[in-house]
Amino acid sequence: MLFQDWLKDEAKIILFDGAMGTELIKRGLKPGKVPDLLNIEQPEIISEIHKSYYDAGSEMCQTNTFGSTPMNLKRHNLEDRVEEIIENALKNIKKVRPSGCLIVGDIGPTGEFRPPVGKANSEQWYSSFSTQTKLLEKGVDLWHIETISDLEEMLAAIKAVRDISKKPLIASLTYKKTKRGFFTIMGDSLEKCIETLNNEKVDVIGANCTLGSKDMLELLKNARNLTDKPISVKPNAGQPIIKGDKTYYEQPIENFVNDAREMIEFGAKIVGGCCGTSPKTIMEISKIINGI
Amino acid sequence: MQEFYNDISTAIVNLDEEKAVEYANKAINENLPLLEVIEKGFAAGIRKVGELWEEGEFFLPELMRGAQIMQNCLDLLIPHLEHISEKISRGTVVIATIEGDIHSIGKTIVGTMLRAYGYRVYDLGADVPVERIVEKAIEKEADVIGVSALLTTTMVGQRRVIELLQEKNLASKFKVILGGAPVTKAWTEECNADGFAENAIDAVRLVNSLLNK
Repeated sequence: MLFQDWLKDEAKIILFDGAMGTELIKRGLKPGKVPDLLNIEQPEIISEIHKSYYDAGSEMCQTNTFGSTPMNLKRHNLEDRVEEIIENALKNIKKVRPSGCLIVGDIGPTGEFRPPVGKANSEQWYSSFSTQTKLLEKGVDLWHIETISDLEEMLAAIKAVRDISKKPLIASLTYKKTKRGFFTIMGDSLEKCIETLNNEKVDVIGANCTLGSKDMLELLKNARNLTDKPISVKPNAGQPIIKGDKTYYEQPIENFVNDAREMIEFGAKIVGGCCGTSPKTIMEISKIINGI
Repeated sequence: MQEFYNDISTAIVNLDEEKAVEYANKAINENLPLLEVIEKGFAAGIRKVGELWEEGEFFLPELMRGAQIMQNCLDLLIPHLEHISEKISRGTVVIATIEGDIHSIGKTIVGTMLRAYGYRVYDLGADVPVERIVEKAIEKEADVIGVSALLTTTMVGQRRVIELLQEKNLASKFKVILGGAPVTKAWTEECNADGFAENAIDAVRLVNSLLNK
């Protein structure tokens, strides 16, 4: 299995992809459209974005299935289409995946919180993630559970994946920076999250979204001392700004890429980007990796 | 009395619903000055909860739990206030997540906190069309309209709310505030909104200042 070989190769830095959502906005994604539904309605755009990342140097790209859980789709009255959405998501990425590159099954949060914030529980999360995993399993090389802001939801997702699949798994939570360090919005510290994930059957521990590259670098420096597992980072490219009907990201690409360089120096095994990053970002990071 | 107020505040900060409810009932049964009990006891407690959240000591579960306990106590106290014809409502807020956007959690937290601070809040939910937000604001004689958007794709709807108010010559009648992770000061200015808030506590502060409370 290619991915495991990459992990074993100490010198290897794995280049992940960048954002899907902001790339869709550039191509005119309308307000309120569920990005996952575009797998069916505008498959050529989804394939084009995947291809642009593979072309830019991404060695693995994620399926456009961030929100493809019954729980999340239910809010859009689309839960009956989960199978169709995921089938098409797999087709769209498979079409453009170059040989030697991997397809990552993307699993995002259900969007439902446990009490007292919301009404969800672990069994509901587990069942929702199970459905998604079963449908994706046949077409992916590995998994990325990402942007999860509750350690309990993460554990439900890991259990769902592990009960179905033996493929490698990256588990990425999303953290905010507080005066006392990095925490999920539900109050789990970076230390607690990593300690917990150390004991789970995950191959890589990650963090993505919420934080820009500068804060992510700081998080990585802390995380490095807490685990022997490989670490994956996918930071945001600063904050979005809307001018007219267009969205821009303020952070100059050089800043992001410089931080990415430091992240690699400080031991990040997998580097990519989240909201606001583009194939151009990935191409610049690729130059750094090739220069090492 | 100050000691009683401190006990109430501590019960809220400790998220001890049983105690908080007990104190609310005690205040009612003993005919204590309820407005003062709310302001110096319960509101002091929820303000502290908000501070702890901003400082990163408390997180979403504590913030929500604190606001829920506060709300439950207010539900007990308010009927007695009206009985003695005291008015507690500091103003009316109509709040919604914009059409096309199903992210309701931030908006719900803001609504809960505003209620906890004594505002009358009409939470219209998520994915609410611009027209309906404006209609409801007129119907409920809102002082403030709060519009949340979590997606860069749906943020344009926030501006539409203000444009629709302008078209109807109603812009001066309401204060419009924006919220949601991608909202910035620049966007607020571009929309001609009256303000934006980074978080729920900030939103309470903003509404207070807009209504001079």
